[in-house]
Parts: sequence; structure tokens; C-alpha cells
Amino acid sequence: MTRHARSNAGTPLTVWQVVELARHQGRPYSLDYIRRLAPDFVELHGDRLSADDPALVGGVGTWHGRTTMFLGHQKGRSLKERVARNWGMMHPEGYRKALRLAHQASKFRFPIVSLIDTPGAYPGAGAEERGIAAAIAHSIMEWFNIPVPIVAAVIGEGGSGGALGMGVADRVIMLENSIYSVASPEAAASIVWRDNARKVEAAEQLQLTSREILAMGVVEEVVAEPAGGAHSDFDAAAAALDEALYRHLQPLLAEPSSTLLQHRYDRFRYIDSLVHAEPHFGPKID
Amino acid sequence: MSIVEGSREVAIAGSELPDVPLPTNCPGCGVALELRSLKASNYVCECGHHFRLGADAWIALVADAGSWLERWGDVRSHDLLHWTVPKPYQAVVDKLLADGLNEAVRTGTCTLGGHPIWLAAFDFRFVGGTLSIVAGERLARGMEQAAAGGLPYLLVSASGGARMQEGVLALMQLAKVNAAVGRLHSAGVPFFSILTDPTFGGTAASLALLADVNIAEPGAAIGFTGPRVIKQATYADLPDGFQSAEFQLAHGQVDMVLSRTELRPLLGRLLDMYT
Repeated sequence: MTRHARSNAGTPLTVWQVVELARHQGRPYSLDYIRRLAPDFVELHGDRLSADDPALVGGVGTWHGRTTMFLGHQKGRSLKERVARNWGMMHPEGYRKALRLAHQASKFRFPIVSLIDTPGAYPGAGAEERGIAAAIAHSIMEWFNIPVPIVAAVIGEGGSGGALGMGVADRVIMLENSIYSVASPEAAASIVWRDNARKVEAAEQLQLTSREILAMGVVEEVVAEPAGGAHSDFDAAAAALDEALYRHLQPLLAEPSSTLLQHRYDRFRYIDSLVHAEPHFGPKID
Repeated sequence: MSIVEGSREVAIAGSELPDVPLPTNCPGCGVALELRSLKASNYVCECGHHFRLGADAWIALVADAGSWLERWGDVRSHDLLHWTVPKPYQAVVDKLLADGLNEAVRTGTCTLGGHPIWLAAFDFRFVGGTLSIVAGERLARGMEQAAAGGLPYLLVSASGGARMQEGVLALMQLAKVNAAVGRLHSAGVPFFSILTDPTFGGTAASLALLADVNIAEPGAAIGFTGPRVIKQATYADLPDGFQSAEFQLAHGQVDMVLSRTELRPLLGRLLDMYT
């Protein structure tokens, strides 16, 4: 596992080109996928505490004959819409809305599909004032108690805690030209170099491309995109995502919830098990 | 806040704290500092300024003398992503280990006022107290054992967040650790969190704010996104005291802001009540 792993995989793109594709403004966003997976999708709004966060969409739709709860970060396409969607960056209200809908899914035994596409949680004063850290922390903890199957897909940017707050699932897959990272390349450059202009170097160091994340054992599958990228053919990209997500969901539907929750715990508890195999790392306890 | 009369006496420190490098004058009040008296007051100046402590000092402060039993101290971080710039990550880690530090989190068991507990202390001197695979592993293992054994869990945080040099695997520690926090709660085990300066990013967005009682040190900076990044991202002017412990108390994120000189007696009382 080296940072040259991508070229071994035979792809001609540089890491930075992948980052740009993941952020491509013509790329399908969550609603583009959800409306193709479930044409009867009904969007539900609000956290029932104070607000509705337009950076996260949620609602129910029929998918492979089964009512399913869909959640997804939503970016906007026009400038006006991008502002309205806050570039897909959630406030605390978004995490609370997601948990409300997750609890509703538990009540009706709906499986949950979560689509991840965010630069990160919103880095602003209002989010801090309303407890963004605790909102993410609480979400991550609570997802481990939601007793219905959850499948997640990174469809574009999987940025930091903002992404992970929607990414605790039984299976996590990534589209080919998506990224998943501990911090955006700009934020990592700002943290490590105190200079966010070093973003290209940071992206190369972070190993954030789908194939690198797969090699680390953090996701189950990388889903191939149509030639040229997902933005070149929304229908084909949605069909590929649909097929992969449903294939991962199917075996989960048969699992008793106690098994499901134990496996979800183990999935994240030992997610760095490739590292445990390294002899310098300490022994696993029983 | 002082101890109610008649409660069991718990000293303000379990044993003598180690020497901590200090500036000549207090950054809070400008008065010349005297190591011996500061050490006796848990490195809190008379003006109320709290000096940062490493994990070794926190262990000495919290644990009853002679009770500390460190666990998994031999688990080591190493370079997984071949991180080379601006400094090779392996060299950074090796240097810190050679300096006598042992990762961003140390954990083990001890007693506090006679109560057996699990203790985990972040150390900001080790790559900014960042959550790494080893840190996450020590935290998760300790929490699992605390849940299984029914022992209260005490956390002292001081962290910049997740460790960039371990990439997405560092991010995954938030999920790994929070899953274990959930186990603590469902096991009915008390969890107390001391938030010290600074507690940010992935540490604030995982275990540090999920305790039954969140206690912040006066003046500690606590938040998700650091003020430099907020200003860069939003061009906002941040008010004085933004993200301070007092700000977090006013915004409902912590239960109290408490001087380090009153901390241990309070923990003794909480342990009496919650166990």
C-alpha cells in the first residue's frame, strides 16, 4: 500500500484530477440518484427541534419493492442553489434531522440508504454556537444503535467528520471518482503546512482516492463510473450505484437486528485491522 | 463550587505532579512564576490561568498515589501512508518516543479517592494530541473493559482532532471510539469527561462531549472547527471568548466550568453518587 497504488491500478488520472472529478459541478448529486432509484420519493423535512437543514435531504421511497429511507448530502448546481444548500455542508440541525429519520426507519423497519457528498460539516460560527461537535459525536454514536440495515455510498466528496456523521453503516461503498478523507486537502494543508495552497501535495499524501481507501479496508467496494465520469451519464451512474447498493443490502435484510448491530460494531471496531496485522502494532485483545 | 461539608476528604491531587516547563511570567497576569507553589496548586496561577498539562501530570493528578496501572503502553504508531512532507511522519513519532512521550492517549486503571476507575489522558505534546489508530485503540479497549467490568471511565482531553498523517484511518477512529462509548452507556457505566485546552475537531466530535458529565477547565478553547479555519472559510469576525469553556457552558455543551484545584474533590463526590 503506497501512494503510488493508483498508477498500479492502471488509471491515468492524477490524484488531484480525481479530487476535481469528485467535486465536478456537473456530477450527479444525491437527489439525482435518489429520484432514479425511487421515482416515488417523498422528501421529509425538519429536525423537530428548530430547523430544516437543506444541506441534507431525507425521505422515503420505494426501492426494489421495499419502502426505504433515503438520506443524502445535497449540493446545489446554480450559485443561488449552492448557497441555499450551503455547498452540502451540514449544520447541527442536519445531523438531528438524520437521526430523527433513522429512528423513524427503525420504527417501520425500513432499510436506510445514505449518500455521502460533502466537503465537511459547516465550519462557521453558527454551527459552533449550536453544538456541531456534539451533534456529530452523538450521531456517530447513535448510528450504532439503529437496528435496521444501513448501506452508505460516497458519491463525491467524503469530507471529514461531516461525512462520517452520515457514514456509519453496515456496508460502505464508493463511486470510482469519489474521495474520502480525514480532512479536505485544503484543510489538511492548512493544518500541516499552515498554507492551504499546498492542497495538491496534501491530497497526494492523504491517500483519499476510492482505490486507496479500498486498499486500506475502509470500504467494501469501488463502483465503476460510466466512461468519462458519473457526470457524463447520470442514468448509467445511477444504475451502477443502484445495483451495487442493493447487492450489499440484500444479505443484511435477513440478519436479526442483534447480529446486524454486532457486525456494525465490529466493522468499525476492527476497521484498521490491516494495521493490526503489522507486527509493530500491538496484539489484539480478546 | 466547593465540597459539601461532611463529604469524604479527597485531596486536590493524588500525588506530586511532575515538573512542567513554564514561562518566567504567567501569560494570564504577568506575575513571575514559582514552580513549587504552582505545582502545589495543580499548575493553576492565583489569577486563574490554567497551564497545560501532559498525560503524565494528569495521571499524577487524578490517580491515588501508587494506584496507576498503565495498559497497552507498548502499542506504537508507525507510518502507514508513507507520509514524507513537510516532515517524515515516522521520524516525528520516533523523536517524540525518544523524548519520553508515549502517544497522544495513555490509558490504564487507578483509584480516585478509593474508587477504582479507568482513566484515559490525552497528551497535546504528542502530535497535538491527535486521535491516531493507537490512541483510538487504547481508548476503545479501555472502554470495552470498563463496560465489561462496570468501572467508571474518566477522560481528560487535550487534542487538535484526528491525525492527518494517518489519513482516513484516523477519521475512522471517531466511529471506532464512539461505538465503544455507546457500549459504556448501555452498560450503565458512569463516564466523566474533563475538557482541557484545547479540545477540537475529531476529538470534540467524538468521545469528549459524550460523557454523562462534561467538565471544562476555565479558559479552555473547545470547539469543532478552529478559529483560524472559521475565519478563512467565512470571513467572520469572531467575538472575544468564542469557543471558550464559558461559551460552551452558555451554549449547553458542558455541565460546568471548574477550576483544576476543585476537580478531584468533585470527581470523588461524583463517584460516590454515581457508583
